[in-house]
Amino acid sequence: MNFGLVARVLGNLLLIEGAAMVFPLGISLYYQERSAVIGFLLSMGILGLTGLFLSNIPSSSPRLKAREAILIVTIGWVVVSFFAALPFVLSGSAFLVDAFFEAVSGLTTTGASVLRDVEGLPKGVLFWRSLLHWLGGMGILVLTLAILPILGVVGFQVFKAESPGPSPDKFTPRIAATSKILYTIYGVLTAAILLGVRAAGVPWFESFVLAFGTVSTGGFGLYSDSLARWSANSPLIVLLAAAMFLAGVNFSLYYDLAKGRWRQALGNAELRWYVAIMALSVLTVALNLYGPVYGSIGEALKQAWFQVGSVMTTTGYSTVDFDLWPSFSKGILFTLMFVGASAGSTSGSVKVVRLLVAAKVVKRELSRVLHPRAAKPVVIGGRVMPPEVVQGVVGFLLLYAAVFALGFLVISLEGLDLLSSMGAVAATLGNVGVGLGAVGPRGSFASFSSPGKLFLSFLMLLGRLELFTMLAALSPRFWRE
Amino acid sequence: MDILIVGMGKLGYKLAETLSSGEHNITVVDVEEQALQRAVNRLDVLAVTGNGAQLQLLQEVGAGKKDLVVAVTSSDEINVLICLTAKKLGCPRVAARVRHPEYAGQIDFFKEQLAIDFITNPELDTANEVARYLLRGYTSHLESFAGGRVGLFEVPAQGLPEVVGKTLAEADVFRDMLVVAIYRDGEVLIPSGATRVESDDLLQLIGRREAVTALIRGHGALGQRHVAKKVMILGGGKAAFYLAGRLLASGLSVKIIEQDEERCNYLAAQLPGALVICGDGTDLDLLQDENLAEMDALVSFTGHDEENLMLALLGKQQGVPKVVAKVSRSNFVPIIEQLGIDRAVNPVLISAGELVRFIQGGQIASLSLMFGGQAEVLEMVVPPGAPIIGRKLSEARIPQGVILGAVVRRGQVFIPKGDSVLQGQDRVIAFCLHRELPALNKLFYPKRKGLGHELWTGRKGAGKPSAD
Repeated sequence: MNFGLVARVLGNLLLIEGAAMVFPLGISLYYQERSAVIGFLLSMGILGLTGLFLSNIPSSSPRLKAREAILIVTIGWVVVSFFAALPFVLSGSAFLVDAFFEAVSGLTTTGASVLRDVEGLPKGVLFWRSLLHWLGGMGILVLTLAILPILGVVGFQVFKAESPGPSPDKFTPRIAATSKILYTIYGVLTAAILLGVRAAGVPWFESFVLAFGTVSTGGFGLYSDSLARWSANSPLIVLLAAAMFLAGVNFSLYYDLAKGRWRQALGNAELRWYVAIMALSVLTVALNLYGPVYGSIGEALKQAWFQVGSVMTTTGYSTVDFDLWPSFSKGILFTLMFVGASAGSTSGSVKVVRLLVAAKVVKRELSRVLHPRAAKPVVIGGRVMPPEVVQGVVGFLLLYAAVFALGFLVISLEGLDLLSSMGAVAATLGNVGVGLGAVGPRGSFASFSSPGKLFLSFLMLLGRLELFTMLAALSPRFWRE
Repeated sequence: MDILIVGMGKLGYKLAETLSSGEHNITVVDVEEQALQRAVNRLDVLAVTGNGAQLQLLQEVGAGKKDLVVAVTSSDEINVLICLTAKKLGCPRVAARVRHPEYAGQIDFFKEQLAIDFITNPELDTANEVARYLLRGYTSHLESFAGGRVGLFEVPAQGLPEVVGKTLAEADVFRDMLVVAIYRDGEVLIPSGATRVESDDLLQLIGRREAVTALIRGHGALGQRHVAKKVMILGGGKAAFYLAGRLLASGLSVKIIEQDEERCNYLAAQLPGALVICGDGTDLDLLQDENLAEMDALVSFTGHDEENLMLALLGKQQGVPKVVAKVSRSNFVPIIEQLGIDRAVNPVLISAGELVRFIQGGQIASLSLMFGGQAEVLEMVVPPGAPIIGRKLSEARIPQGVILGAVVRRGQVFIPKGDSVLQGQDRVIAFCLHRELPALNKLFYPKRKGLGHELWTGRKGAGKPSAD
């Protein structure tokens, strides 16, 4: 194991994180929040020193192996989360476990909060929370790849380990160029959402928060009741619903669009299923709501689209308390927590393409009952999926189910009702951030015990790095050799 | 440069490895998913699965917009087809591997009439390399640069007992030459003045040729001056065929030992001057009957690395002065040379070197890949306006893995020192570790494109297949 180089990469990561604190520091200076300014300055000092120290550790060789890539990604996320919690602690906004939970929730774009008095927090700290969404959405290591060429050849392994989806692919020869393009798209999308939200009448500061929370499919807002105060602002609701939808699309399709490959982008199989599942869910929920909850079909469609989009893309914003909706609608929303949006987007959870592959596998097994010797490769969008990828997908789904079940067992020790316990696990493992019952739109994760919060933080990281990366790094085998 | 490489065999991989560590954007295509996986996991390249000769695929990967397309699949015909298609799609430069001896006579036709810019034939290149070596005076002479005025030599430290245990700064035998690399325990060291020479080291020297030959002449242990007259070639494959032809043309006597009778007859008919023996090259009695010990050189060109290695060692043991073995795995080259075999040649490395030289075009006048491709020695002409001009070398921020071995200025060879200053049109022979190639390029060539440029060209409508 080349610990020297791993340390160097982590050091660079921390320096980037420290540099990112300049923005919330500026906000705190502007609003004259003394405690937050001190908190950020101290955090930056600690990050700078640690980063410099780590990045100057000599390394035995300049090459990284695939195993070290896994280590970098896993430790990187834990360490960055740890340091991201510093401003919360040092500004007196939250304490140890709560601060760590909040930082992990931010970076993994979950958006679940344990802070009781969100409205009373310094603006700088709130901005930092949302900025964490933005940094974690596209991947902090992908950002490192875009800025620093240090990772070299193994960059692709890091990229693969951090990017969501069964077979992340670069679309330019150079991993650094791919990362830059991804961040360019991300930046353009963020800016567009920001201006749109501002135009819909939201103040600048909150516009930034909403833009970060939407484009990263995170879900942190400024108020503990999420977006309830904007539920009457129809243009904003529609705009955010559209923005969440766009953030859930595979970003490489935007690259195809930019290069004029319309047919390739719009014909993408996952995109079509993503749209189809979302449209079907919106229609069903709207019909279910029309009458008992909303008098007009337009209002029902609007709220249904926003809520379905928010849960499916794993954003977690809510304009209304959907916990009060009919059971069928709640059932659909709960199911969507296990679907997620597209691979290669900023969303969490399982991803549509994996379900698509799984569906094709099931279909294949069904036809094998009739024709045991039929040759049926799994074809997605006209391309044969390599058997390793198919196996990886099936393995992922099994593991996801197993982790969910085990997580549910552990969390049920907290003594909440079953629905809330399941909701809490689904919301954290899938990086959704909002569940049902006690952790629903009007609920909070604040009531969990400290070990419970740490366990949920672990689930968030596990979900963000798509299980395998982190579990591989945690397995004894990884360390034995 | 945007480069498309079709075929991820040994040559394709080596080429992608070499080029991707420089400032090139590489896309690779192969039908075999596994071959691509290997490349993707270890190199920073973009992989596309499919038949590279298919028009649709070439359009999809934007072959017409690439600066260069290299076709190195296992089939000559497919390689030519790929080049022709890519050229029609608008690619300015194309290169192919064409290895079949029956096409060897029509290379010029390929180049002139079919407009394939460069053709490499690994077996022919290997044969040429071995022929050059056999026809040269000293066993330790690897390569000539600047029209023969500068040489690259490989010298075992044992042959120079007075420098063993000393640092390079203390050793005063290296006048008019520079130790550019030391091969020690399987690793390449870039020496400084403080590096101490150990007795098992292999020293790589670059210097004025007369100076180095004088040094070698003064040390008997480094090998006698020896021009081969009688050569035995084991194995009668393509490379052996080309080599025998070259050697015969230079007036040497050539004996080929080949097992397959049909092949023997073919060789005998095509190479009337050579003596073709039909028999097993691993049969010691046969080799002794054929006077192995009397030979000036033994070239082991069979299809198995292990056999080549054992036979070459056998030749060395029998007292053959120059022993050459072909190795198909490039990583083994340095190890095998450490075993006492004079030259281990690897067709892939040689071919990759030829291709890289072609690709770098005017920038590099001559190049040879060393240590299994971990490093290279390049000959470059300093272009006017290069960042390195006018600065003392000690202040020019030359990276650690780069050593400027010799400079030729108006016909005069000198060894650069810390206070030397380069001028435009100087010819520089540099040793460079692979990963430092981009840094070296930055020193010698004015900056062309920046980050913004890369982003810009990355999206500038390059996806549209050009249809002309």
